[in-house]
Amino acid sequence: MIAVEGLRKSIRNGARTVDILRGLDFNVPKGEFVAIMGASGSGKSTLLGLLAGLDTPSAGEVRLNGVAISYLPEDRLAQVRGKAVGFVFQSYQLIPTLTALENVLLSYELNAEGDGLARARQLMASVGLGDRMDHYPVQLSGGEQQRVALARAFVMQPPIVLADEPTGNLDTTNGALVLKLLLELNRKEGTTLVLVTHDATLAECADRRIVLRDGAIISDDGNISQPRPERQTPFGFRVGV
Amino acid sequence: MANGLAWGTAAKIAAREMRHTRGKFLFVILSVAIGVAALTGVRGFSASFRATLLDRARSIMAADLAARTNEQPTPNEMKSLEEIRAGGVQTTTVTEMMSMAASPSAMNPLLVSLKAVDPALYPFYGEITLAPAMSLKTALGPGSVAVGDDLLLRTGLHVGDDVRVGGETFRIAATVVDEPDRLSGNFEAGPRVLISRAALDATGLLGPGNHATERVLFKLPPPSDGRPVSDAAVAALKTNVAALLPEAQVTDYRETNPSLTEGLDRATSLLSLMSLVALVLGAVGVAMAMRAHLQQRLDTIAIMKSLGARSGQIMKIYLLQTLLLGLAGGLLGVLMGVAVQLAFPLVLGKLINVPTDLHLQPRAILVGLGAGLLTTLLFTLPPLLDIRGVRPSLILRRDTESETGDDGKTSFLRRVLARLPWVALALAVTVVSVVVVSRHWPGHSLELLLEGICLFAAAGFGPAIWNWTRRKPMQAGSFLLIIGGIAVIATTLSDSAEVGRVFSVWLAIVLLVLLAASAAVLWGLKFFLNRTRLHLPSALRHGLANLYRPGNPSAALLAALGMGVMQIMTVYLVQRAVVNELHITSAPNLPNVFLVDIANTEIDGIRTVLKAQPGVTTQPELVPMVAARVETIDGVTQAEARAKADEERAQAQAQGTPRNSRRRRMPRGVNLTWAEEIPVGTKVVSGEWWKAGERRPQLAISQQQADWLGMKLGSTIVFAVEDTKIAATVVALTKDDGQHLFGRAQFTLPKTALDGLPVVWSGGVHADPAKVGELQRALYVAYPTVTVINVAQALETVRAVVIQITYVIQFLAAFSIFAGVVILASSIAGTKYRRTREVVVLKTLGATRGRIATIFSIEFAVLGLVAGVVGIGFANLIVRTLLLQMNVAYKAQLLLNFSALAGVAALTVATGWMASHRILEKKPLEVLREE
Repeated sequence: MIAVEGLRKSIRNGARTVDILRGLDFNVPKGEFVAIMGASGSGKSTLLGLLAGLDTPSAGEVRLNGVAISYLPEDRLAQVRGKAVGFVFQSYQLIPTLTALENVLLSYELNAEGDGLARARQLMASVGLGDRMDHYPVQLSGGEQQRVALARAFVMQPPIVLADEPTGNLDTTNGALVLKLLLELNRKEGTTLVLVTHDATLAECADRRIVLRDGAIISDDGNISQPRPERQTPFGFRVGV
Repeated sequence: MANGLAWGTAAKIAAREMRHTRGKFLFVILSVAIGVAALTGVRGFSASFRATLLDRARSIMAADLAARTNEQPTPNEMKSLEEIRAGGVQTTTVTEMMSMAASPSAMNPLLVSLKAVDPALYPFYGEITLAPAMSLKTALGPGSVAVGDDLLLRTGLHVGDDVRVGGETFRIAATVVDEPDRLSGNFEAGPRVLISRAALDATGLLGPGNHATERVLFKLPPPSDGRPVSDAAVAALKTNVAALLPEAQVTDYRETNPSLTEGLDRATSLLSLMSLVALVLGAVGVAMAMRAHLQQRLDTIAIMKSLGARSGQIMKIYLLQTLLLGLAGGLLGVLMGVAVQLAFPLVLGKLINVPTDLHLQPRAILVGLGAGLLTTLLFTLPPLLDIRGVRPSLILRRDTESETGDDGKTSFLRRVLARLPWVALALAVTVVSVVVVSRHWPGHSLELLLEGICLFAAAGFGPAIWNWTRRKPMQAGSFLLIIGGIAVIATTLSDSAEVGRVFSVWLAIVLLVLLAASAAVLWGLKFFLNRTRLHLPSALRHGLANLYRPGNPSAALLAALGMGVMQIMTVYLVQRAVVNELHITSAPNLPNVFLVDIANTEIDGIRTVLKAQPGVTTQPELVPMVAARVETIDGVTQAEARAKADEERAQAQAQGTPRNSRRRRMPRGVNLTWAEEIPVGTKVVSGEWWKAGERRPQLAISQQQADWLGMKLGSTIVFAVEDTKIAATVVALTKDDGQHLFGRAQFTLPKTALDGLPVVWSGGVHADPAKVGELQRALYVAYPTVTVINVAQALETVRAVVIQITYVIQFLAAFSIFAGVVILASSIAGTKYRRTREVVVLKTLGATRGRIATIFSIEFAVLGLVAGVVGIGFANLIVRTLLLQMNVAYKAQLLLNFSALAGVAALTVATGWMASHRILEKKPLEVLREE
């Protein structure tokens, strides 16, 4: 589903060049749940952005379902983002001038024809916000906003969902709730999930962990020939095949 | 899969997005509304006025048809008119002329506009309104006249008193409140005196060669079926009359007064273009507001892109927002335009004197709406195109990459070298301009110097502009599209592609120059502040520093405001200079009193009276005139010359080349004069003057006249004076010094060539201005039929008309100021958030509201002063150039300029506070908690 080949990303900061990613290679099969870990500044969010086609690498390639996306024209990339990838941001990134329901609906309106209202309502209900649809983001708590963001990420039924520290700005209780919802939706929709986190406990829920340091992969326990058995995570979720 | 965003969906998203920004967009709507209001007001009024003229056309002409001539009808023509009357057509003659009238007791002669009518027939359509109310027949009975109320005011007379006109005394029976055909008549040089034709004959004012205008009015008999007279019947009569009276200007009621409708068209075009300036400024305001809006929406745009939205889809959403705002502004502007329409009659006052029926004019509304929408769309293109550059990674990471790759450490030498080609180009253009302009239009050294400075300044920006164009070619293209769009609108408004082209290019240049000047002044101020060792008060320093606040579009704002100031000051300064020029009395040796309609039998007496007057300081210049018609020039008849001129015009139009502007139509009626010797002030440039006593009909004409008519030495011209034909040959081409009356004579012949022909004399004399009244009285007592024109008085009439006209132009120029003020308010409101934070922080640090108010007031005042300096400075430059072209002296009006500067600063401060007064009330914690 996701193939990364020789991925590099550098930026210029005045006279200096900063290497954020230094040539990554890995694959993520369909349906896998991968956690990307590393300390702050290790390049996790940058990697996620490149996987989503939100940015262009300096070298290397990202393939989604065999299609190389890294150097596609912007409009084509937008189509990929809209149809193939759902993104959950650490800071929710809801549009403040739209209601919760409208935020979820927006993704549908931008990428599909027809009326997506029913689907949006259903997703809002599944994240437990059926009674808060007409509220604006400023009227919702952090956890509630992130649940809206989850609903938005899944509205187009994308084959891939990328989440950048989805619980990073939440307290433990809300974080657990959001994670639970994310994993439930993931299982229900059958998506491939790549989640960035610096929380080792959260990473335990994943099928596979890729650890980055200074822009390089230092460990990847996904190079295993057999899937891990179903297990219960520290949060009480059941994960695995 | 949807390839695009449906318009309906885009509209829904756009509407949702605007829910929380209604207040901000109010300024945008107002910006568009102002320009649309001016435009629809002007064009709506013009269309209403034209419709009124057409509705009342018959009344305005007082007839179905009119034939205007400057001569009394010949016996043959009288016979032709009799034949027309025999066919059932009613005719009556209206005679108009200037003359003198006075109170018999005070004998204070006044120049009046005399109009003689047959009260039994006139007017054929419309009503004369008199006060006290009475029929015209009663008012113009034997020995009585009706006069305008301004005559009563100026002479101190009342209804019932006597007034002397020409050689006769009449009783004032009534005042003339309204005449239906006032607009169709001559320009009124003085108060109206309405008199019967019989009474005019008794005054002795009508003699051969006088300056009366005859208007023969025709009324067709109504058809027997009761329907109104058809246009076909009117057209047939027109053809008939034109053939019978070839020297007359024949018009039917549909044409009303051609010079009036042509003047109306020209005025509408000019005023529409002025309104377009206000519209463009409004559109600049919209562009600034949309740019600020999109800047605030960067995150939203990035989020939408991360959700899969393409740039085109997002642009569609914001384009729809812009369209909605443009439409709302346009509709509001149309409503405001109704108010503008209603204001016009008040502003124009007595100038038009036609109660105009104001209707909604759909075409004017559509043109205004269309222009408003188009300018709004065009000017928001550049900020909309910026959406393409927003990267979705913005929300993951604020890029610290430098976009140009410029690390800011380019050496000074490299920067200078990069600019060299541009400096060379600027130098080349300046040198060429100096050479060309000096050769063809000398006296423009100041303008050339400034052009050079601007070009060299622009050269400094050359590399930046080039780099920007390479990076953003679509943005650069959008600016060309804007200029093209404005050209299209200007062409539509002025019905001239050339005007459209010139206007749009000049508008763009002016705006860019103002922008550069504003940026230069701001930069200079900053440079001064950074370098100066003056210890400025901290409030002043803080206020000035606010001008350079990030996101403050100071230069663009100043350019817009400066444009409005420049417009209104230009109009006002030109008006003042022209009106002042009209006040200036002539040089001591130039005539300031003119005498017209002096009969041949009166000339010796006039000389005696003038000699006896102590106030007369120069020898009078008395010129004999014989009224004649031109029959042929070098064998070419009038009809042949007209046909050739029409052919040349059509050819020039088809080829898109200008006509030879030096050639003029063959004149119909001309004045011949005689002189035995070369007149004073005239010199022969080619050929030879005849000897005294020459009997052959030889001719001397001015070189200019010869050029106009395509004549040269040896050309022959056949004149007709009544039934006498004179064939004269050009033997001398002359040039005069412009200071003598003889220079006004068109054709000079030897005296014997004009022996026995009816002669009327005109003269001019210089009198001590304090004794002009005495001279007028002496002449009136001795020769009441001679018209005496006091130049100062005549100029006063013209001055009043000029002032009225400029009121209209100033009224519209004010719209540009309004547009600038709205932009200012919008810009200040746009920085409200930053200002609020600033206020909160200052309050937290202990600043009082008074101190904060001082800081912001300084910022607003400096904005106003800079806009004023730029606008007023350029206004003076433009006025100086314009006045030079008009041969009017330019004087720098320092007090006026400084007053205007203070006014602009005060206006800016007031606007700034209106847009941001609430921020002083905010409590610090209230704001900080919202963070």
